[in-house]
Amino acid sequence: AAAGPERPQVVSHVQQALSYTVFDCKWVPRSARLLCLGSAARGTGLVQLYELHGARLELLREIEKPKPIKCGTFGATSLQQRYLATGDFDGNLNIWNLEAPEIPVYSVKGHKEIINSIDGVGGLGIGEGAPEIVTGSRDGTVKVWDPRQNDTPVANMEPVQGESKRDCWTVAFGNAYNQEERVVCAGYDNGDIKLFDLKTMSLRWETNIKNGVCSVEFDRKDINMNKLVATSLEGKFHVFDMRTQHPTKGFASISEKAQKSTIWQVRHLPQNRDIFMTSGGSGSLHLWKYEYPAQRTKKDSEGSEMGVAGSVSLLQNVTLSTQPISSLDWSPDKKGLCVCGAFDQTVRVLIVTKLNKI
Amino acid sequence: MPVWLREHSWRQTLTAVYLSLPLRGARATPANIFCSERYLKVSIPPFLFEAVLYAPIDDTSSTAKIGNGNIFFTLYKKEPAMWDSLTLANAGKEKLQYLRENAVLKAQEKAKEETEAKKISKQEHKKYALEATMKVEEAERKRIEELKEKERQKVTKELEFWKNQQKDADKYESIQKKGELHQEIEPLKERQNEKMNKTRIPDEGTSKIRLKSTKGRGSCSIFSQNLKEEQLPAPRAAATIKVNFTPRVFPTALRESRVAEEEEWLHKQAEARRRINSDLTELEDLKEEEKNPDWLKDKGNKMFAMGNYLGAVNAYNLAVRLNDKLPLLYLNRAACHLKLRNLHKAIEDSSKALELLTPPVPDNENARVKAHVRRGTAFCQLELYTEGLQDYEAALKIDPKNKNIEKDAEKIQHLIQEIMQSS
Repeated sequence: AAAGPERPQVVSHVQQALSYTVFDCKWVPRSARLLCLGSAARGTGLVQLYELHGARLELLREIEKPKPIKCGTFGATSLQQRYLATGDFDGNLNIWNLEAPEIPVYSVKGHKEIINSIDGVGGLGIGEGAPEIVTGSRDGTVKVWDPRQNDTPVANMEPVQGESKRDCWTVAFGNAYNQEERVVCAGYDNGDIKLFDLKTMSLRWETNIKNGVCSVEFDRKDINMNKLVATSLEGKFHVFDMRTQHPTKGFASISEKAQKSTIWQVRHLPQNRDIFMTSGGSGSLHLWKYEYPAQRTKKDSEGSEMGVAGSVSLLQNVTLSTQPISSLDWSPDKKGLCVCGAFDQTVRVLIVTKLNKI
Repeated sequence: MPVWLREHSWRQTLTAVYLSLPLRGARATPANIFCSERYLKVSIPPFLFEAVLYAPIDDTSSTAKIGNGNIFFTLYKKEPAMWDSLTLANAGKEKLQYLRENAVLKAQEKAKEETEAKKISKQEHKKYALEATMKVEEAERKRIEELKEKERQKVTKELEFWKNQQKDADKYESIQKKGELHQEIEPLKERQNEKMNKTRIPDEGTSKIRLKSTKGRGSCSIFSQNLKEEQLPAPRAAATIKVNFTPRVFPTALRESRVAEEEEWLHKQAEARRRINSDLTELEDLKEEEKNPDWLKDKGNKMFAMGNYLGAVNAYNLAVRLNDKLPLLYLNRAACHLKLRNLHKAIEDSSKALELLTPPVPDNENARVKAHVRRGTAFCQLELYTEGLQDYEAALKIDPKNKNIEKDAEKIQHLIQEIMQSS
């Protein structure tokens, strides 16, 4: 990518080699600390806490757990407690107090197989309503948990009896703009995307994008749902305009083919909901900007409202690694600061510049 | 025999010789002129002019001008002297020949040298060009690197600044908070302090306290935090939502699907249906509908159902003559032959059907199972039990849930064992 004067640049700030496979990396809210979650060579799970010191990462703490950890979130915890919720390879959902990590604050064997993806809402002072955690697993179910209720999920989206199950690869919360409303979006390996409304406990919308869905994310969890980005295998991602639902056609969308390889993650910039980054199987990161169309809705032939999708433009792209970049997280405190973990056992802290000028 | 051109005319100065050669209507090109130090030849078949020069000339700087049916040579003498004549007058034939050959050789050598020199200079030019481009690219790359470095440094500085800002803010707030808290909740504060001391991450503790104040919700103490918790709604009433997954025509996800094979199969089917064996003149007296293989197949099926196996076979035969690429025809005919105890024919037809049912896709599973079963049955009735078992097992592989096939396969296995024991 050329060093054009006005385009955002992705600057690699720190690179840290790890001695284990990192599956997820997350910033600790309100700090310059980050967590790496993964699986050590001997088959145990590892949580490492690093602090950013100048041009290097200093390891503050290392916690080892019996089962490899696949994913984690701070989404459902309060800012004071900052408890980490993790899903592991065995299907256990645990919430940890990082200062006393020997015994989890909450623990449940939520699924029969690996928890592929986890998301939290209602914490960190963002949005309203009860704190909830959603987990999606290879056993085909998506379960929503409330840390105040032990053992049973508050919502369970499972396949109909006798139906062959499909792996759930990704989950995301959205539409949590008041105490009652909430939706969960789940993506499956056969290309299904399903939107569950937790207020009415029903399936609100579903679609199929043909290729397995690797990652879904709403642009903001705590507003009336605005946009949803779903990435998939074979380098495609779809942006859905979630403001207008047509009774038969669902939500309007555009799709973009970005890279030849799988797009593993999409993450929206916390400070600007129209900018998002996708990470790819070829070790590359692409920074995108969504532009809204002139009219966001239009009437179809019968007079029902349908949405109009806008367009997406590539702001910058950079190749950091030869292995897939499987996890990505923007810092909620410093605009442009992000961390990514790749399968070459390296975690990188990046700074994206000139985001103010967009 | 060449025609000699002899009407040339020439004059000379001390340093040069000017030779004019009329061409008698022939057209000359530079290729026709051959000149070396002592020998000059113009050969425009069938015309020929040659001159073994009196004294050597400088052939590189000499010129020849072609025009007006005439070639005008300007030959520069190597040594300035007046020539008695243009050519060596009393040169013997051998001398002439020697000079001629010499001249040719010299010319060739010269040509070689020239090409060598050209090659070398070309290479050097290329090298130079390459180096120049490399330099330019290096410079470009350096420039970009420098720009990136600058960005990096700027950004690192900003980050450090931000971090320090955080730390300072922490400290400031914690001092303030410590003052406030001291007045208020004594026991709770003690607990909090203990926690802070225990923790190995001092920043963590202070930042916790700071955060409560900057939340902007007016909650500056632990008490307000508790109140907020009570405002949270109770956990949701548990419920389950049942989901269905998108069915596909081919029940595997796109990445697992054997789309290519399935396409091939569909294509083959389409081709087969379109095909008509057109070289059947004796079919002219058939009725229209009897020329349609599908109609004939239906007729055959009906007759089979009624027990008229010979009739069914006839119908299928005719259909096959019209279109020999429909696997179902062979399959059904195999069933008829089984009933008629034409076991070899049944095996042939099942085999042909299986051949046509490639590539193996979920779409033609049923047909393939039937073909295997029929062939297996035929083998068994011929007492070729091992072959029959093979077919039954193939059928079972395609359709493992079919109980009948399982039972039959087991029966055959028993039979084989009995035979082996008794023999």
